[in-house]
Amino acid sequence: MNSLVQSAEEKFLRKKFSGYYGTSAVAVRGLEKREFGFGGWEKKIEFRHIAFRNESELRARLVAEAPLYISHSVAYYEFPDARPMPRKNWLGSDLIFDLDTDGSACNHVCGKFTCQKCLDAVKADAIKLIEEFLLPDFGFSKSELAVNFSGSRGYHVHVVSDAIYDLDREARREIADYVSGTGLSFERLFWNEGKKFFGPSPSQGGFGGKFARAFLAKLSDDAFALSIARKLKKPEEREKLRGAIEKGNWDNIGITNREKKLSEKFEEMKLTMAGRIDANVTADTSKLIRMPDSIHGGSGFAAKRLPTPDAIAGFEPMRSAPVFGSAPLRVKATEAVPALNIRDFSFGPFGAGEVRELPEACAIYLLCKKAAVLA
Amino acid sequence: MSDLLFCAHYPFSSAAKAHVSERGMEIVSSYVDKAEERVHEAIVSGKVRKVPALSDAQEEELALYAIARMIVSCANNRYLINRYAVAEAKKTSDYLSSDAAAHPEYVDAVAAEFGIRFEKSGAQFLVPLGKYLTYTPRSTDYKLANREVAAGKVLVSSHERVRMLEEAVKKKIERELPIRAAFPEEVKASGARVLALLPKLEANVVKVGQENYPPCIRRMIEELSLNVNLPHTARVALAIYLVRAGVATDKIVDIFRGAPDFSEKTTRYQVEYLRTKGYSMPSCATMDSYGACVAECHCGTPLNYRANIHGRALKKEEEAKT
Repeated sequence: MNSLVQSAEEKFLRKKFSGYYGTSAVAVRGLEKREFGFGGWEKKIEFRHIAFRNESELRARLVAEAPLYISHSVAYYEFPDARPMPRKNWLGSDLIFDLDTDGSACNHVCGKFTCQKCLDAVKADAIKLIEEFLLPDFGFSKSELAVNFSGSRGYHVHVVSDAIYDLDREARREIADYVSGTGLSFERLFWNEGKKFFGPSPSQGGFGGKFARAFLAKLSDDAFALSIARKLKKPEEREKLRGAIEKGNWDNIGITNREKKLSEKFEEMKLTMAGRIDANVTADTSKLIRMPDSIHGGSGFAAKRLPTPDAIAGFEPMRSAPVFGSAPLRVKATEAVPALNIRDFSFGPFGAGEVRELPEACAIYLLCKKAAVLA
Repeated sequence: MSDLLFCAHYPFSSAAKAHVSERGMEIVSSYVDKAEERVHEAIVSGKVRKVPALSDAQEEELALYAIARMIVSCANNRYLINRYAVAEAKKTSDYLSSDAAAHPEYVDAVAAEFGIRFEKSGAQFLVPLGKYLTYTPRSTDYKLANREVAAGKVLVSSHERVRMLEEAVKKKIERELPIRAAFPEEVKASGARVLALLPKLEANVVKVGQENYPPCIRRMIEELSLNVNLPHTARVALAIYLVRAGVATDKIVDIFRGAPDFSEKTTRYQVEYLRTKGYSMPSCATMDSYGACVAECHCGTPLNYRANIHGRALKKEEEAKT
């Protein structure tokens, strides 16, 4: 059910998308227990409370309707199409981490057009989330993690595990808060016992251990050591301190304003992922999230599913995520287009009103961004 | 775990249930009276008396526990059920603390009732992350970010281990009650007497003039007055709202009086804490993510509600004039 009046661009895109769904398989874990939502030109979710019995039913609908956005619930329900929500009878949910670029990596130069700097930054965030939180702290195995590109400018990490299946919103928010360090009180990591000053040891879990390990690793750096205390210029003093911290004794640090100094160092080390994940998405047990491998209607890129979590390191979204190819397509820019690189094609910059014949992957990207019209 | 001592200390356990169904249980009047006394005391003073270490008393305890549940079920009121659950859980926690030394296997057996396995780690315990999050209260002390978390396990002290099990028992009772069944007249009459305690208890719950409060806040206050156990996030949001709306601490504390686990001291401390910290009001989007948003008033934050509504009303009036 599409909106009554479709622009030429929307019609064109839907036709292209339909072709894609006609030739590629869709696979959704626990498909028959998920709620689906479809979006169009104006809204990313126009219709929801949709359910399918199997993959061929879903695929038939995608080919027929070609929604510009396809999402499914992170939740599994007994009756995914029932409404209102409580009638669905929630059974459990995957745990989701939504990482998105906030544009700070390039100082917001890229605007609506994603730049490499931002994509690299968000990729680094996703790797940090997996390597420093999901695997070591939360103890998930790689086989419990499913990572996919968001289709636009971020990544989604789906944790599929019995360990989190039936956790409620509040418990999930705790997990998000842990990752972003929300509510973390640094002063709780250190304490005085008589005249002695104790703190975390590197073998410890949580942010205490993270800090101790990062601190010890940086201690070999002269500039870092000197920024703590002058006496640490001497290698033997450094070794003494190192040996003590291994046991959780921070007394040898030998400075008066140690709490303040250490807390500054903690901030500098950026051990938390504050502002890097969307806690609301993680907490939401009935969130609709982009269906992996579906096309994102705001880019024409696939929300590409990575074969393993490790594959993210070598994944280049601008190269691998575009769905369409090199067939030529004429479009007219409706706003200034910067220099871009999609697949192996470089194009731009050019100004509003200019007509260009571009490889489909690039032209469709501009149409999806609403930065061009068919010419 | 099948010894009588264990069953008497932990009458909610499957071992106790099995013991009762094996022995059979008769509902005699003297038991109903005693069970009513137990419920009465639990609800009024928040306590359930411990069992004398005699086998007769222990057998009786199992019967009283079962009948008390029936009485509370007949009274069928959320506030009473929740208060009763808090008291039974508190008793469990006392037993767990004292049993930890003499019968450490008891603690493990109670934990196993909830599918939890505490792994010894020095003087502390490691507990799986999911269980930790399910059975710890949402408070600064238990904030995950401040805990030692590694390999999917969280380190807890022996006191915290007991606290988690107390929470688990409370949740279990809250979930299981009311039992829907046809109860003997005598039990029903007892339930009615227990229900009659309610107005006296609720006299303390203050209803504030809240005509101008936004729908989400009104809903929370309403739920508290109906003794719904609001989640921590909702309570914090409500308290911040009231603080920022200029409501006095005493009055805020009174609003929270309806919470089944209400403690005057804790509430007062927390409200004062929020006041000194000057936290900002969660936005409507955040409220929505807590599941606390109940209307579409488009005001950005609940604090804007009054200004918006009044603003719109004024505008309408002016439009009507011109």
